[in-house]
Amino acid sequence: MPILQADKISKNFGGVQALRDVSFELPESAVMGLIGPNGSGKSTLLNIIAGLEKLTSGIVKLDSRRIDNLRANRVVGYGLAKTHQIPKPFSNMTARENVAVAVLYGRRNIHSPSSALQEAERTLSLVGMGLRKDAPAGSLTVQEKKRLELARVIATGASVLLLDEVFAGLSPEELKDSIQLFKKLHEELGFSALVVEHVMRAVLNLSHEVIVLEEGQVIATGSPDEVVHNDKVIEAYLGSKNSAA
Amino acid sequence: MIEKPGPTLYGLFIVMALLAVAALLLGVAVSSILLLLLIYAALAYSINFITGMIGYVDFGHVLFMAIGSYALATLVSYYGANPLLGVGLGALLGLVFALGIGLVILRFRGVYFAIATVVLVLAAYNLVLQFPQFGPGGEIIFNLTFQPLATYFTIWTIVLIEIVLTYYVNKSRIGFGIRAIKNEEDAASSVGVGPQTLKLTGYMLGGLFGGAAGAVYAWSISGVTAGPAFDFTFSLLMLAMIIIGGVGTSIGPLLGAVVVYIPSYFLLTTVAQAQPLIIGLLVIIMALFLPDGIVGLLRRSNEHLRLVLE
Amino acid sequence: MVAAELIVTDLAFGLMLGCVFSVVAHGLNMIWGVVKVVNIAHGEFIMLGAYGAYFLNLFAGLTPLETAPVDAAIGLLVGYAFYYAFLHRELRNKETITLQSEMVTLAATFGLSLFISNLAIILFTGNPVGVNYNPGTLQFGYLHVPIAALYVAITSVLIITGTWLFLERTFIGSAIRAYAQDVTATELIGANPAKVASLATALGFAVTMAGGALLTVWIPVGINPLMGALYAPISFVIVVLGGPGKMWGSLVGGLTLGVVIDLLQAFTTAQISYVAAFLILIPVLVFRPEGLLKR
Repeated sequence: MPILQADKISKNFGGVQALRDVSFELPESAVMGLIGPNGSGKSTLLNIIAGLEKLTSGIVKLDSRRIDNLRANRVVGYGLAKTHQIPKPFSNMTARENVAVAVLYGRRNIHSPSSALQEAERTLSLVGMGLRKDAPAGSLTVQEKKRLELARVIATGASVLLLDEVFAGLSPEELKDSIQLFKKLHEELGFSALVVEHVMRAVLNLSHEVIVLEEGQVIATGSPDEVVHNDKVIEAYLGSKNSAA
Repeated sequence: MIEKPGPTLYGLFIVMALLAVAALLLGVAVSSILLLLLIYAALAYSINFITGMIGYVDFGHVLFMAIGSYALATLVSYYGANPLLGVGLGALLGLVFALGIGLVILRFRGVYFAIATVVLVLAAYNLVLQFPQFGPGGEIIFNLTFQPLATYFTIWTIVLIEIVLTYYVNKSRIGFGIRAIKNEEDAASSVGVGPQTLKLTGYMLGGLFGGAAGAVYAWSISGVTAGPAFDFTFSLLMLAMIIIGGVGTSIGPLLGAVVVYIPSYFLLTTVAQAQPLIIGLLVIIMALFLPDGIVGLLRRSNEHLRLVLE
Repeated sequence: MVAAELIVTDLAFGLMLGCVFSVVAHGLNMIWGVVKVVNIAHGEFIMLGAYGAYFLNLFAGLTPLETAPVDAAIGLLVGYAFYYAFLHRELRNKETITLQSEMVTLAATFGLSLFISNLAIILFTGNPVGVNYNPGTLQFGYLHVPIAALYVAITSVLIITGTWLFLERTFIGSAIRAYAQDVTATELIGANPAKVASLATALGFAVTMAGGALLTVWIPVGINPLMGALYAPISFVIVVLGGPGKMWGSLVGGLTLGVVIDLLQAFTTAQISYVAAFLILIPVLVFRPEGLLKR
């Protein structure tokens, strides 16, 4: 039983068809990459699944439960959480307090602030931010803010993570570290993930399966290798008939 | 799950104890001055719940004060009821109105909420003037035996409850959720915080205590008149108190009340406009340069104070 | 036939009043739409514009139409001062206005509102004054149209059209429009965000104060220090109706409100008509928060 199921998701924005009949299945503990050229609807899809936007038609099932009509905070309660493309930390709270909010309001049933703060500290260490736990979130670097986003969604206890371009804007060194970190976290925690990415190296490295969107429609699915050599995908990105060997 | 209170709460208890003792020992003149201070403080704590903690600027908070005032004035003047019942009714009506209004306007973004609260006050003011039940010009006066201590300790109790509530809300899970909303409402829902419930709770607490304070205020001046009851100057004072003291904190409202009240008391004897003029200026300066108030300033200046003051 | 005549007269007056309302709200709309800041003290600047017309009439015999450009010039200066005093620190280096900044500007402008209005009471006394300007009436059949109201309505529409042209046809105007959509994009087209924002604010204040001058034609005995408390909510409702940032929205919202208020006054008191008009705000915000205009 796949942990996340999307069935013919369509989204219409007053005349603009942002998504058309997008369907996929995310098996438990799998990592699925979601790629596609700019404007193909990736972010919209993530927002809809996470409950931040309403779909026009279609069904989203989390662990066999329908979530497409639920608001974001309820969806988190059922075990699915999404990071933000542009990090949105709670700037006037420390990193630890940021994560503590997620612990307190996720699906973990921890309601005591002191326990939550301890748990938050643990999670921050997991993502390599242990030393910055008392720093005001607003003062963190961009990379640290992205790590904080990751820590927060993990801390909610979600079993399905939606990651929106967490690898963007990193230097080659930082990218290598982040990919390593992700692999380690995935091994330890066993979450399922849908990862939107432009950075191909990350996608190809981490995904078990890749799904490609173009202009709101799925044009290919398959293993990273298959997808990279798929003519339609190459054409979507490069607009030419030549395939790179 | 009640944590041991920190120094801040003990400090506040000491101040309240002093205020109680002062009223009992120092006679009526002093207690009348302190009475108004406590009413100001009660109002400050009440707006703190919605504006200080949640960050939704309630320009129309004076509405709840007016509701409380009219509740008490009507009960006492028309039904000869005990003023304490009036306070209870004021609180209840404040709560109920906050619920009803909040369900509609709390979904709006901050700015629209603020404007909506202004519009509601204007509407309520004009509505009151239309109904003769509220007296000519919305004025209801009553004659009660002068019970300074009863009035005093009623508002004293209200402030005490507010202090404890503010303190524990800040420390609790709710406090975390509230701060998250205030920082980044959208991100809050993506980690599971349900903003609507928390916003509504804050607004209702504001309505409850605003109504209670308004009722005591009417009690203290033996009446209510529409013009002053709906005066936006009260809203300004309430905002000023929490901005000066420190928004969202436990100490802030009381501190702000002291800072705003003492000079106000003397300014009122000069030109009537001097008070809002100077308070307005103070608000501008604080909002632009010290938005986290005196408490914020103290916390930033000293590591020890940062851990102690809340 | 009398009922029809009444309705037509009401409609005509409502539209003319609406034009003035539009320009009075237009400054707020510009600032709100561009720098995304709501100036709670907006009403006070309308009041200052009105007093400007009063004093210039008293001491220099100027009509409100002649005062408007003077007020506009003063408004420009005031607007720049306002930007640098209140907004510059909050807006620079930021991509968008944060919740904290929003609270700060709301509180600060609220303080400013009460400061200015109380200062005005002290300086001008609370006695209402007015400007005498009556170049007569034009007659169209049964319709008696005061020329002053007509001039002012035309001027108002010209001002709104003028700002629209400025925003659409000049480089700095498109820089302002770019800023309204995306602050960082402004630099990409070679404009300085601070200069753009300050100019937009200055223009907003210029229009506001000019609007205050034009408004005096409709309130022959109504210029008083607290009039901001009436015209600010009117402006807010107009901007919300039209949609913040949509320049023609000021006209749509203003005309709508002008007609509604004028028609309501045929049935109830002036006070109730205003309150009812304000309360329109709430359902609009619930059902169509982006305003009535499409797109």
